[in-house]
Amino acid sequence: MASAPMTEDNSYGAWKFCAWNGMIFMAVFMYFWGWLGHNLPPFAGDAPASEVAGYFRNHSDAVRLGMVTSMTFAVSYAVWGIAIGKVMDYAIGRGHILTDLQVWGAGLTVVPILVSSSFWLLGSYRPEALDDTTLQMIYDAAWLLIDLAYAVTSVQMFGLGFGFLRDKRAEPFFPKWVCWYSIWVGFMFIAECFMPFFKGGAFNRSGILNFWIEFSIFFAYAPIITWYTLKAIGRIRVENGD
Amino acid sequence: MYAPSTMPAETRKKALALPGDEGVFFFITADMAMFALFFLVFMVGQAQAPDIYRASRAALDPTLGLLNTLILATSGWLMVRAVDAARRERWSAARRNVIAAALVGLGFAVTKAFEYHAKISHGITLNTNEFFTYYYAFTGLHFFHFVIGVLVLAITQAKLAAPEGEKTRIWLESAAAYWHMVDLLWMVLFPMLYLAGGTA
Repeated sequence: MASAPMTEDNSYGAWKFCAWNGMIFMAVFMYFWGWLGHNLPPFAGDAPASEVAGYFRNHSDAVRLGMVTSMTFAVSYAVWGIAIGKVMDYAIGRGHILTDLQVWGAGLTVVPILVSSSFWLLGSYRPEALDDTTLQMIYDAAWLLIDLAYAVTSVQMFGLGFGFLRDKRAEPFFPKWVCWYSIWVGFMFIAECFMPFFKGGAFNRSGILNFWIEFSIFFAYAPIITWYTLKAIGRIRVENGD
Repeated sequence: MYAPSTMPAETRKKALALPGDEGVFFFITADMAMFALFFLVFMVGQAQAPDIYRASRAALDPTLGLLNTLILATSGWLMVRAVDAARRERWSAARRNVIAAALVGLGFAVTKAFEYHAKISHGITLNTNEFFTYYYAFTGLHFFHFVIGVLVLAITQAKLAAPEGEKTRIWLESAAAYWHMVDLLWMVLFPMLYLAGGTA
């Protein structure tokens, strides 16, 4: 049942490309931001300033490349959110507020990624001229921002989860478990609030709870949502007879 | 011996079905898995520094912990009564029980506020030691779940004021399942933080 809220050319190729941006974002984020930027895992909060500074000085080109690429592709998260939003238009009708929340949440997620990546880039720009504690402060600032900006992404996840739960199709575009997964991930991000209070242990930025678990559930999020978004686009195309 | 295979297929299916919305159970399972990891992290920490954990535990008041256990158990029981009433389509009784569950549950917030205030005024904070890091983090996260639960109960009683049959029953059962999760998590937190491993 296509609710057909749109009458214009849907450009399925472009739509699917936008949906694939979720995977593009995640691949770039993991390799360039994570691996080259030494953020997978990050230096612990109690790591000596000399260790953090040493990384910036010895791997400045790798960090620059990582962050330049991360900043370039950060917007792909918003592009992905728009592709999901268009599927939501079909699922729950055009102009629904939950769709707006999903799209805005995805769009705003770009900001902390962009700004925090620029901090890491700043640290790698002239690390030889900066002292150890200044480089550590830049690294800290970047992590505090990217972790504590979780709420904008939670808005996307709540919008998506609660939105697709309203899909009344016999076989909804997104299974209920995916909707609730989305809500749960957004909900559990609140554990990031503990991060500024710890420099070591499970809740510090590289700890098992605040990094390994929180980032793992986030890294699993984009592939799952992208898979169902692409499936939904295929179904809409068939339903529309295009 | 109970032999489910002798039950009519439809009855068996109904008996095995989860109450409420099955999607909510995904959320509950994922959430409880996360808390199970929290508990594991705590147990590992306790095994590594048993003396610190024992001495710290002595600063907690198990009476308050027990009081909160009784509050949540009573509130959970009221939710069971609400679900039972809704299944008989006694919507007003269901609503009364949900309101009572929420009001009794609010006692948990009062006790917790009193307990947090007492600890902080004695200089015991998140950074006192590892035990109290976990104490504040886990009870804080649990409290966040509790607050969401109270909001869900508030919405539930509003829905029960104008019930829509099956739809409202499913909502109520889902809300009750979530509320029981809040209850169950506390049932683990209480012995783990206040009792297990003994005090100094």
